[in-house]
Amino acid sequence: MSTPPTMPTPTSRAKPTNPGTWAPRATSSSPAGPRPPRGAGRRILLVALYLLLTGVGLLYLLPFAIQIVTSFKTDPDAAANPLSLLPNPFSLESYRRLFGLGNAADAVPFSTWLGNSVLVTLFITAGRVFFDSLAGYALARLDFRGRNLLFNGLLTVMSVPGVVLLIPKFLVLNQLGIFDTYAGMIVPLLVDAAGVFIMRQFFLSIPREVEEAARIDGAGVFRTFWSVVLPMAKPALITLTILSFQGSWNEFTHFLVATQSPQYQTLTTGLASFVSGSLSSGTQYPLKLTAALLATIPVAVLFFAFQRHFVRSANSGAVKE
Amino acid sequence: MSQYGSGSGSVAAPPAPAGGDGSTGAGGRRRPRRGSASGIKGRQGLWGWLFVSPMVLVLGLFLLLPIGMALWVSLLNWDGQSNPFTGAADFVGTDNYSNVLATDGLDRTLFMTSVRNNLYFVLLAVPLQTILALALAVAVNSRRVKGKSLFRTIFYFPSVTSSIAISTVFLFLFQGSGAVNALLKWVGITGPKWFTDANGLVWTILGGLGIVDPDKPTAALASNGFLGLSWWDWLSGPSIAMCTVIMLIVWTSSGTYMLIFLAALQDVPAELEEAALLDGANRWQSFRNVTIPALRPVIFLVVTLGLIGSWQIFDAVYVMSQGAPGNTTLTPAFLSYTAGFGDSEYGRAAAIAFILLAIIMVMTLIQRVLLRDRDKPVRAGRRFGAVRRRAS
Amino acid sequence: MKKNRAATAAAVCGALLIAGCSSDFGSDSGAEQDSSEKQKLTVMIGSSGDAETNAVKAAAAAWAKKTGNTVTVVPAQNLDQQLGQSLAGGKPPDVFYVGSSVFANYAKGNSLYAYGDKLTDKDDFSATLRNSFSYEDKFVCAPKDSSTLGLAINTKMWKAAGLTEADYPKSWDDLTKVAKELTTDKVSGLVVNSSYNQLGPFLKQAGGWITNADQTEITADSPENVEALTYVKKLLNDGVLTYPKQVDAGWGGEAFGAQKAAMTIEGNWLTGAMTNDYPDVDYTVVPLPKGPADQGTLSFSTCWGVANKSSHRDAAVSLVEAFTTAEQQVTFADAYGVMPSRTSALATYEKRHPQDKAFVDGSAYAQGPVTLPGFTKVLEQFDTDLAGLAKADPRKILGDLQTNGEQVLKSNG
Repeated sequence: MSTPPTMPTPTSRAKPTNPGTWAPRATSSSPAGPRPPRGAGRRILLVALYLLLTGVGLLYLLPFAIQIVTSFKTDPDAAANPLSLLPNPFSLESYRRLFGLGNAADAVPFSTWLGNSVLVTLFITAGRVFFDSLAGYALARLDFRGRNLLFNGLLTVMSVPGVVLLIPKFLVLNQLGIFDTYAGMIVPLLVDAAGVFIMRQFFLSIPREVEEAARIDGAGVFRTFWSVVLPMAKPALITLTILSFQGSWNEFTHFLVATQSPQYQTLTTGLASFVSGSLSSGTQYPLKLTAALLATIPVAVLFFAFQRHFVRSANSGAVKE
Repeated sequence: MSQYGSGSGSVAAPPAPAGGDGSTGAGGRRRPRRGSASGIKGRQGLWGWLFVSPMVLVLGLFLLLPIGMALWVSLLNWDGQSNPFTGAADFVGTDNYSNVLATDGLDRTLFMTSVRNNLYFVLLAVPLQTILALALAVAVNSRRVKGKSLFRTIFYFPSVTSSIAISTVFLFLFQGSGAVNALLKWVGITGPKWFTDANGLVWTILGGLGIVDPDKPTAALASNGFLGLSWWDWLSGPSIAMCTVIMLIVWTSSGTYMLIFLAALQDVPAELEEAALLDGANRWQSFRNVTIPALRPVIFLVVTLGLIGSWQIFDAVYVMSQGAPGNTTLTPAFLSYTAGFGDSEYGRAAAIAFILLAIIMVMTLIQRVLLRDRDKPVRAGRRFGAVRRRAS
Repeated sequence: MKKNRAATAAAVCGALLIAGCSSDFGSDSGAEQDSSEKQKLTVMIGSSGDAETNAVKAAAAAWAKKTGNTVTVVPAQNLDQQLGQSLAGGKPPDVFYVGSSVFANYAKGNSLYAYGDKLTDKDDFSATLRNSFSYEDKFVCAPKDSSTLGLAINTKMWKAAGLTEADYPKSWDDLTKVAKELTTDKVSGLVVNSSYNQLGPFLKQAGGWITNADQTEITADSPENVEALTYVKKLLNDGVLTYPKQVDAGWGGEAFGAQKAAMTIEGNWLTGAMTNDYPDVDYTVVPLPKGPADQGTLSFSTCWGVANKSSHRDAAVSLVEAFTTAEQQVTFADAYGVMPSRTSALATYEKRHPQDKAFVDGSAYAQGPVTLPGFTKVLEQFDTDLAGLAKADPRKILGDLQTNGEQVLKSNG
């Protein structure tokens, strides 16, 4: 169960806004009006501000820096100098072991984890983008009996937290006979309520005239949706893709209860079982941190490439336009 | 459910649409005049259901049905080794609930311990993350600060990464001889054994001040209790180990909340702040008297999001402590998991899950009620915003 | 009520028809059997370390090569939890470790395939072990091996502290004394897991135990047990006994191997971990000291469970046969130190490993684990309390154990 960041709150629907303004406004506000007086006090304030930001910024960066450095350390070095930012000696042993190049007996099945993570993430992301758009469009634009009921149901379902569903979900997967299968890992995550909600909100903001024009030209409902409306929804689709990718890549609890065999372990469940079982794996922190690092990289790359969309999705709840 | 740290932040139900404004808006008021021919409508009905059917199927099967089945199992004494839907397991009525809530015994003690832990978690994590997020947002939003997008990126990054990976890193940092304690040593402090220290923060601090002896519970507090826990235990505060979990959560979630504050800060009319400054108010006064009131609805939002999210910590506990030391990081969510898969008491596990669901639902309701009031100041803000835009 | 339940089940299944109502929940009979030539088996073990894992893997591979089947050996991180989930999920591994403490639970739930009587030369297994793995007069599963606890001593540190063989602790006072002498700034005299599995011997040595002999009564709050925990608490408060986590180790053996501890209380599995992970550390194992009452240690035994739901039961039994030949048992014993369950193999083991005599001798007076169904959570809580023993009242801990235990006993009927 992946939940989105803050759920978007229903935006004001009275005035349909054009898709462009759906994105949050640029962060800098235009300096207008009279400026407050300058002075030494202000400069001190500014310095203090920078100090605070840099200090806190370091606190936010340091764990990642230590993680990266430790991945190149040897076990004794990591234990003796946990804070040192220089590996001594420099070692690629952790990477070698994760990719099975070291002694075969102690290799962590990292490639299995990676393969599973990629597989389920691809399916879930594709499924969410398609099914969420379909449902979102229907809830926004199609007139059918029971729509209001469905929409209210959706709102209710969104507030059911995933952690209370651990045992319940296990029961259902079991009853359906898809416990410990790829189907059990993927199918329950193919649609997410929050994604449907995001898409619905977006489709509400598209001017109706566009569809009507298409319909007059004789396009059917699906054609209108597929070739007219969906292409206009590109920004929302990108946001949804990124959200789904991130959500399913980082998903943990669903896979934890949906599978049992090691062959289905993903980066998250594999890493968790590797890390939390202290017995027999010793402490092996460089290895653990390297595995954690490699599990973080894809989302990190995505984050730095598409930061705008991450910010937008986190904000979709708070922006009032 | 990657609660906290995976960037997916907390679930917040959006406020229910007031008076059908939302749900009927599109189809109702702006129903296409031309398209009202019954043929098109019928077609739309069919297509509509076709379009939502995957959603209905998946959410129905994996959200609603599980709840129903678990409700049934919570009334059974089922050990996981038979089929609970054939009558092989004993029907015990509400025993599982009363064992957890009312009957004196291990089940209740464990549950109450987990509730206590989570209450203290909420008490510390929610204010801390809200204040930190607000402070970061205000600082980043300051017009004089350069490189604000860099700072925003740095603060937000932990929120998007995997909670499991982050917990692994924290596990390393907070070892007894780990990086954090090495850092503390520099400034002359001997750090605690973070993950093994089950001492409550309250008694540790009071002990440090010499008011109580943490090792010798006050008799009056230790010998009397409530719901299976002594008052000494209830009042202990979060353990040192729980504090590391709290730090992790504050660290990972404040970025998300910062973004929410940032967006809201854009809506605070600059004219108001500047007018206040011109009137001779200092920065702090203007922040307190203008910015904070304008942000009040968003603060409510963030606090309730935090409240809801805080009852769902699971990943961090699973990786870092598994409830240890001394059950002080046990949370209801984790207890439900171990009761099921660990002790094979699925009935009790399901009952705990339902009680947790009730707690979270109450939080959600509070949030909805609070958010209903939220629109008022926002509308005012928007009006000012419009004024500002026109002016510039 | 029954009718009601059936109706509910029918309704639920009806709702599930779309996705196919192929329930995996226990039909109480076993699963349909796979009769193909090449079968794929999964073995789940609760391993004590790489030594054990590798040994089981090697044995499984040898069997697979001989029979043409495939075997995957899975070391579980938390065996009880993973087995519980997979049994409830109807997809248990074909072969798995069953500790004597959970045996009754699984046998009662009909999760185990009772194959014991089909084994070749089954009388070669010691009578005690056969007895612990029998349910309702059926010999269910083949005993894998057994272990007892001993006191491991780092010989170098022992000498450095000026101690000789004559100083091996015979009593609690001796233990306190040597632990104090061995404790330095960097080394803890004695590191013991904060679990009843390792601290339990003290209860026995004081003349107490958690239950009475036939497990019909809880005897946790006896004065003997209080005396035992008071002694352990004193060691903790004197700083001569520490728990592994306090020295950043996962278990006693790791602290011992990493030379953060001069002594530890662990079972036979320690020897495997030592040869594998810390081959350079010299150590010796001696019997645990006598307490005020008598000598006391604990014994642990495990059997090779075959899942009733396995569709490869015959192959699984054949695999277990291969795992439990006298020859294989000696190989296992060589690899990770456990004591063979076959009498014939045990004799060979004693000859080959004279240094592990303390473990073998312990079998004579060892106490087995509590095997009451539903007792796991009570013992987990006891372990949790033991972790906080340094600052707690032993009477309170044992009192809680008494109440919690009685409650389980009562609900078991």
